[in-house]
Amino acid sequence: MMASNRVAARSVGAGAGLLLAIGLYLGLVVAPPDAVQGELQRIMYLHVPSIVTAYLAFFVVFCTSVLYLWKRDLRYDAVAVASAEIGVVFTGITLATGSIWGKSTWGVWWTWDARLTLTAILFTIYVGYLMLRSFAEDPRAGARYGAVLAIIGFLDIPMNHFAVYWWRTLHQPSSILRAGGPSVASVMLLPLAINFMGLVLLYAYFLLERFRLERIRHKTAEVRLKRGRKAYERERPMHAGESG
Amino acid sequence: VGHWGFVWLAYGVGTAVLSGYLVLLKGRLRDAGAELSALEQDGGRRTR
Repeated sequence: MMASNRVAARSVGAGAGLLLAIGLYLGLVVAPPDAVQGELQRIMYLHVPSIVTAYLAFFVVFCTSVLYLWKRDLRYDAVAVASAEIGVVFTGITLATGSIWGKSTWGVWWTWDARLTLTAILFTIYVGYLMLRSFAEDPRAGARYGAVLAIIGFLDIPMNHFAVYWWRTLHQPSSILRAGGPSVASVMLLPLAINFMGLVLLYAYFLLERFRLERIRHKTAEVRLKRGRKAYERERPMHAGESG
Repeated sequence: VGHWGFVWLAYGVGTAVLSGYLVLLKGRLRDAGAELSALEQDGGRRTR
């Protein structure tokens, strides 16, 4: 079972590598430069798929957190922790590539624009979630508080999506997920779609591996607990004698 | 820095973050696996 899971994870990882190689070739070599932004627009082929993958990761955290609160099964919590960590990695990439894009087009590395600020808040919420999880002494209490934080934190995503319509922002409005279909030419849409599929597969690969790590940690904790219980039971008569 | 410089910087940062995370994850998996098997072997010796 474990071995077949690892084969599946490796296949997903290889698929991700292949798709990303094709997507990068199409985005950096084949696609033409943008009429307004020139070559700089090529950052989009990494920036946009990164944030959409991060949204997907946090959506998985949201669903598994709801399931954990409902069923109290630690396997859901393990998926939530794993997905949150990967979501933070992809949000970090989005912030870094966005900052580089901002410097080259707006002339500044950072500005307190609504979209940028909400993305930074999203990053902070899930870094906070991971810190909460690592500091919690009782795993079940950590899972419960974490699930509540993850569910509330997810509200940042719809706000972030609509921020460019609700407030006046420097960040351009959505070019893909918009009423009336994408406003991007198909020659640019293809590398974007392939990179997105590649990053989703990479997310799936990371998730499988990170989930495996969480299961190993749970098993280690169980073994330690069992051993502690046995030692306590062995020594209990002795302690009972001392107190009486 | 020209346009391509910013493009390469963005892709370089992306690649570094993703490969760094992969390396760290593999390291954590290796350490956690080693800790578990050491515990299990130690437990096996104690029960025998």
